[in-house]
Amino acid sequence: MPSSSAAVSTDTQWTANFDTVRREALFKNPPKDHTPYPALAEAIHPHVKSFNALFDDSKLLEAALKDIGTKSFLDGELETLQQRAQRLEEGKPREKRNSFSVRIRELFLEKAVLPTTNKFSTRNREIYPAECRERHATYRGKLRARVEYRLGGGEWQDTIRELGQIPIMLKTNRCHLENNTPAQLVQHKEESEEFGGYFIVNGNERLIRMLIVSRRNYPMAIIRGSFVNRGSAYTKYGMQIRSVRPDQTSQTNVLHYLNDGNVTFRFSWRKNEYLVPVMMILKALVETNDREIFEGVIGVAGSPGTNKTFMTERVELLLRTYKAYNLNGKAKTRAYLGGKFKPVLGVSDDISDEEAGSDFLRKIVLVHLGNVDVTVSQNHDKFKMLLFMIRKLYSLVAGECAVDNPDAVSSQEILLPGFLYGMIIKEKLDDWLRSVQSACQEWSVKNDKAKFTDPTFLKDFPTKILKRTNENLGGLLEYFLSTGNLISPSGLDLQQTSGFTVVAEKINFYRFISHFRMVHRGSFFAQLKTTTVRKLLPESWGFLCPVHTPDGSPCGLLNHLAHKCKITTCDLDVSAIPRLLGQLGLCDDSSAAVEDKVVVQLDGRILGFCTPKQAHIIGDTLRYWKVQGSHDVPRELEVGYVPNAIGGQYPGVYIFSQAARMIRPVKYLPLDDHDYIGPFEQPFMSVACTEKEIESGESTHVEYDPTNILSIVANQTPFSDFNQSPRNMYQCQMGKQAMGTPGTSIRYRTDNKIYRLQTGQTPVVRPPLYNEYGLDNYPNGMNAVVAVISYTGYDMDDAMILSKSAHERGFGHGTIYKTKIIRLEENERGNSGRAKSARAINKLFGFAPNSHISASTRSKLDLDGLPHIGAKINEGDPLCASHTVTYDPTKTSSTPYINSDGVNTLHRYKDSETAYIEEVRVLGSEAGSEPCQSLSIKLRIPRSPVIGDKFSSRHGQKGVCSQKWPAIDMPFSESGIIPDIIINPHAFPSRMTIGMFIESLAGKAGALHGLAQDSSPWRFSEQNTAGDYFGEQLRLAGYNYHGNEPMYSGITGREFAADIYLGVVFYQRLRHMVNDKFQVRTTGPVTPLTGQPIKGRAKGGGIRVGEMERDALLAHGCAFLLQDRLMGCSDYRREWVCRGCGSFLSTQPTVWGSGIGKKGRGTGVVRCRRCAKRVEDLLEEGKEVGIGEEWEDGTGGKWVGGQDTTIVAIPGVLRYLDVELSAMGVKMRFNVGP
Amino acid sequence: MSREAYAPPTLQPSSSNANTNTTDIAGPSTPYECGECSAKLQLKKGDAIRCKECGHRVLLKTRTKRMVQFEAR
Repeated sequence: MPSSSAAVSTDTQWTANFDTVRREALFKNPPKDHTPYPALAEAIHPHVKSFNALFDDSKLLEAALKDIGTKSFLDGELETLQQRAQRLEEGKPREKRNSFSVRIRELFLEKAVLPTTNKFSTRNREIYPAECRERHATYRGKLRARVEYRLGGGEWQDTIRELGQIPIMLKTNRCHLENNTPAQLVQHKEESEEFGGYFIVNGNERLIRMLIVSRRNYPMAIIRGSFVNRGSAYTKYGMQIRSVRPDQTSQTNVLHYLNDGNVTFRFSWRKNEYLVPVMMILKALVETNDREIFEGVIGVAGSPGTNKTFMTERVELLLRTYKAYNLNGKAKTRAYLGGKFKPVLGVSDDISDEEAGSDFLRKIVLVHLGNVDVTVSQNHDKFKMLLFMIRKLYSLVAGECAVDNPDAVSSQEILLPGFLYGMIIKEKLDDWLRSVQSACQEWSVKNDKAKFTDPTFLKDFPTKILKRTNENLGGLLEYFLSTGNLISPSGLDLQQTSGFTVVAEKINFYRFISHFRMVHRGSFFAQLKTTTVRKLLPESWGFLCPVHTPDGSPCGLLNHLAHKCKITTCDLDVSAIPRLLGQLGLCDDSSAAVEDKVVVQLDGRILGFCTPKQAHIIGDTLRYWKVQGSHDVPRELEVGYVPNAIGGQYPGVYIFSQAARMIRPVKYLPLDDHDYIGPFEQPFMSVACTEKEIESGESTHVEYDPTNILSIVANQTPFSDFNQSPRNMYQCQMGKQAMGTPGTSIRYRTDNKIYRLQTGQTPVVRPPLYNEYGLDNYPNGMNAVVAVISYTGYDMDDAMILSKSAHERGFGHGTIYKTKIIRLEENERGNSGRAKSARAINKLFGFAPNSHISASTRSKLDLDGLPHIGAKINEGDPLCASHTVTYDPTKTSSTPYINSDGVNTLHRYKDSETAYIEEVRVLGSEAGSEPCQSLSIKLRIPRSPVIGDKFSSRHGQKGVCSQKWPAIDMPFSESGIIPDIIINPHAFPSRMTIGMFIESLAGKAGALHGLAQDSSPWRFSEQNTAGDYFGEQLRLAGYNYHGNEPMYSGITGREFAADIYLGVVFYQRLRHMVNDKFQVRTTGPVTPLTGQPIKGRAKGGGIRVGEMERDALLAHGCAFLLQDRLMGCSDYRREWVCRGCGSFLSTQPTVWGSGIGKKGRGTGVVRCRRCAKRVEDLLEEGKEVGIGEEWEDGTGGKWVGGQDTTIVAIPGVLRYLDVELSAMGVKMRFNVGP
Repeated sequence: MSREAYAPPTLQPSSSNANTNTTDIAGPSTPYECGECSAKLQLKKGDAIRCKECGHRVLLKTRTKRMVQFEAR
């Protein structure tokens, strides 16, 4: 059936139906036009589109280059004071220093291609992602920059520099897979629904996590106790704005309120914090006067704002205290600022203080309002914004407005992966340009303090000087991606330095897709003791999923986006807005009284002021226009109308149009059309949840579907509205741990470990979104007939009984694939860029010629020294053989590599589990000229379900298989059905997972009628219950309405007294399997110091019997067990001790003396040296020494006495303790009895 | 014993004839398959790893024709 012929476009509409034929057709013939699952591709748009914005869409890096600007430096050295004095004495003029300027004009990022050194591939030189996965290499492209430089005011000259290879995100505009159809993707060994969004670094798929940062360009009122610690007069009040440049880098500015009413401006630059009086910045920005500032904050004379004495007093003080600086006029103030900040900013030495001051304002103060080539009007915008911030700060202190909650989504946005990547690229470029200065100086020193005017300088610059700098930006970015650590001199205005990237694990598809919808609050907040940041706030409605967050330490910090939530990735065209708002009535006069005038801002730029009433009209009008699509108002615009409220959020109309905002679709009622709303405006809107809840005159919007608030994974929980909410959270966790189908291109993947479920099925009970997201391509579990009955006693405590027949039919059968990489050059991580020369190779795979090969090795390895495909291997079996070689090009035989020692090194399989060789990959180098230096061996480990493996339904009901019960002994129903799984009824009362009952009902009815059941939450009500809906279906099939059935004991054949609840539930097999967990030992490796067993399963260690276990055993009176655990199986030692002096350390073995026995050998007799006396001393004292009384120590000393020694059984650490204490001069004495 | 030949499973595989065909210093050549175009190729020890047809840099070992039999218990 040619369903995907060119004529018919691939259908993208899906329902809850099985669609078996349609899906089969899609598998047989992957569509040649577009994906049948657009929702899936849209889910990762924030990743892909933000990366696209770097080079193409918004050209963020172009903006970044503008911000980096030109770096210029002078030759020669700065005069010291003595030099200057000497020069003045001699009357010489100052030596002229030459200036040299460098800038980056353009950046190019190429797609991944073979290096030019590879002369062998002529047809296709592109490197596809699949090859990088298989070769454990990095998917990267060459980054080049056009660098321009000039001497003094001369002509710009340019050169192209290669800046290494930087990793490329998949399916972006620098990836070969961009816009590939499913058919093409399959051809390139990808999933048919591959959606990209991640990087491949050393063969691992890693992605940059989305991070929550505070909303850009919106001054937030903050009360923070720690502000007080900043200085003596500081208070907890602050006004913070995260100001974002056009290249998406940010600079946070904070206004601090001081005790006396003064305000200081704080910023941090290159990880250091600086404070400046806000008045100084105001005066530096524009040519102004005190009256203008006063009226800007308070309002014109006679306006209602002047009655606010709280504010007028403080503004007056602000103006008065500033007089102490005695700086008048813009130029003087800028010069003052420039003088102070010149060394910090890193501006070139030859610019004046005033220019440096302008640079300071450009780079640091409210950068979103002008950051390159700042115009006068932009400075005026900054000035007005600062005045607004001061007013809002005073209003906060006066208690007239509320603080903005930094933990609420309404004051947050998302730091997108591509933008972060761009920020890092920008910073590395900046660092690199800075490093050119030292390279130039180095050149100067080398060439006898040559000047830049030296004719060789310009010639040497591109060839020699730039070569001295570290141009390998690619390596730095690869480091960032592979570790997630950010090494940055500026800190990028972020609160963390690590944890930016994670591995996109493909345990199953739920886990994989969740990585791309995951939003982290920042690892800084993980250490915070307060739980306020973790709280679920009503503001997140529809943006962050309330269910899908892990429990435990990352709870509430690691959230997932609701499945309909989008993130804007480009700035909207809002050029029409200022004019429109002007027509709606805005004036320039502000007022301290918000009842009089409220602000209207567009992306943090003040457009004007209007009355609160007019603000309401503006808000409503803009919304109508944007949904209508008229007046050039874009639909994704966020019109945050904050109404006046006593003690509420500071009122005004705040319009946001830029990237990184969360938005979500809802229906706008007046036009019955699509609208996007953002988290800032949402708290002030009335959005009805369902059509029924629309209140006339009140609701402006209605949700398309209440399930829009749930994430993709949370939406897959059937009937989640019937469950107790924590159970749904558990399911979100467990769904991601299920053994499922990681993909269809497993043949081309070489992950360290892949889990695969062999017998996956599509669930009978599922929501329509299941198909919309194409989850049938990745089955995650099996439909099982489940009886809720306490049957054998083996289903106690969350255990479940598996029918042996079900197991034999393949229920839950899984496989683990492990990939072992064997590299001959161990110290070289991965395939580091440069190919090794042929002569540097000193090891090869295979057997050395004419070497001895044992029969067992020969039977297990092929003639090439690699294993046979399909062979079974056990622990300790060889995986491959290698030998050392030397390069000898003079040899005319077939190979230049000569082995001289004839020794084969065997690389062995060290895991304890039996495995089968699935694939052996021989990996070549990019250059294509090297012999094999690394192998990638994929092993298959079959894992059929065994007792102890973990299973779970989709309702947070996990259990461990406790028995595989023979089918003949299983209970059966009247129709002869034997349950696959038996679970205990006690699993339900306390957990209240009613959804599982409904699923059981629905699954049974669906299986009987051949229906796919829609399991979306919020589809039933009190009048129209789920039990009735599915009960009627069951009744029609001839079954009990309630889902109960009479059942018969499999053992006695008698009917049970009660009817048993029997239905079909979808079960997941979780990846936690006993084979990975069991830990047994009696003896084994011990810690050398203490003699106690080592820790850790991998090393064959033991499980600690700790204090509490000891207490329990004591309480039970199990003395011998305790003795055995804590002594016998641990560090049991038999040690000599002296009864007389009670010491372990003074006992000593004796040796045979001269005469009898072998001299110097031990006698086996141990004496106490401390209690013994020297024979010489005794003889000196004139005492006699009897025959056989004396004994000899190892050094020839002869002793008498010290016989009172004995052997005692002690824990080895006791003796160690004795040794340690004696080293500190503490003696231990043991009274040995009886 | 050729790698391709059928060898009945024995507990002690014969190793007597192993050294007979290793006259070439580079050892015997073994078959591989290109990971991209599935072309069959024979490689000897020390040969550069690339497909002779398309220049691809990942080669897969082909499945042995020897009988692989396990105890089915």
